[in-house]
Amino acid sequence: MPLRVDPEENEMRALKGITDWRRKRVLEIGCGEGRLTRRLAQLGALVSATDPDAQLIRTARRKLVQRFAKRIDYEVGTAEQIDHPSESFDIVMFAWVL
Amino acid sequence: MVHALHEARRVLRPDGLLLDLRPAAVHRRVGLMQAERYRPVGIMRETFDDDRAADRAVLAVKGEGLFKVESRAVFTCNRTMDSLDEFQEWLANFVKLTKQSPHDWLVRRVEQALAVTGGKARVVVSGPLVLRVLRRRETTAQPAGFSRRAKRAG
Repeated sequence: MPLRVDPEENEMRALKGITDWRRKRVLEIGCGEGRLTRRLAQLGALVSATDPDAQLIRTARRKLVQRFAKRIDYEVGTAEQIDHPSESFDIVMFAWVL
Repeated sequence: MVHALHEARRVLRPDGLLLDLRPAAVHRRVGLMQAERYRPVGIMRETFDDDRAADRAVLAVKGEGLFKVESRAVFTCNRTMDSLDEFQEWLANFVKLTKQSPHDWLVRRVEQALAVTGGKARVVVSGPLVLRVLRRRETTAQPAGFSRRAKRAG
C-alpha cells in the first residue's frame, strides 16, 4: 500500500468541525494531487483547486472520480495571482503552502 | 506571502473564512509501528524559517485589520509507509520541497531498525498540524495608522 497521510483522519475531523461544507464555494490553494480536495468535495463543498505545479494538476485531474467531477475544478495557479472575481468564495484554504 | 493573503481576502465574500492549514514548527518524529506497538527511531532536524515568515505574514494582515482570528486547532498528522523505499521517496521529496538538509543519517537509522524487524514494520512520520481559522473583516477606507494618529492627536 502506498504512503497514507493522516490515516486516523484527524485533519478531516478538524475541518469538519469548522463549518457545514455543503454547497460552500471553496478555493483551495496548493492542492497538490488533490488529496484534501477530494475530501472537501466528499463533505459537499464546490472546490476550485489550484497548484503552481502543472504536473501535480495533471495527476489530480487523473485521480478525479466521476461522482466529484461537478464539484471539483483543478487549475494551475499561484496564491499571488488568483484568477477569480472578487468576493466569489465562502472559504479560501491555504493547504500546507503559506 | 502577505500579497497572497491580500489576494485571498479579495476573492473571499464578506464574512468568509480563511483557513491556514500547515505543519507546526516542530521537529517530526520518525518511528516504526509493528503489531500496534510504536518504537521511536529518530527526530528530524528541520529548519523553520518559512514557517516563521508565514506566521509573520498572518500577523501582518491581522494587524491591518483585514482578518480576525476565529480559532486555532492543533492535532497530530501521521504518515505511514510500508517500506524503506517509500520512506526514502517521501523524505527526498520533503527535503527538496522544503529546502531542508539531507537526512541520510535518518535513512540509515530507519534501515537498521527495519532490518531488526525483518522488514515487517511500517515507518511512521508524525508531527502536529495547525489549523488557523480567520474571518474576513470589513475595513473602513482609513489610511493605515489613521486611528493611532487620531488617538494621539486626541
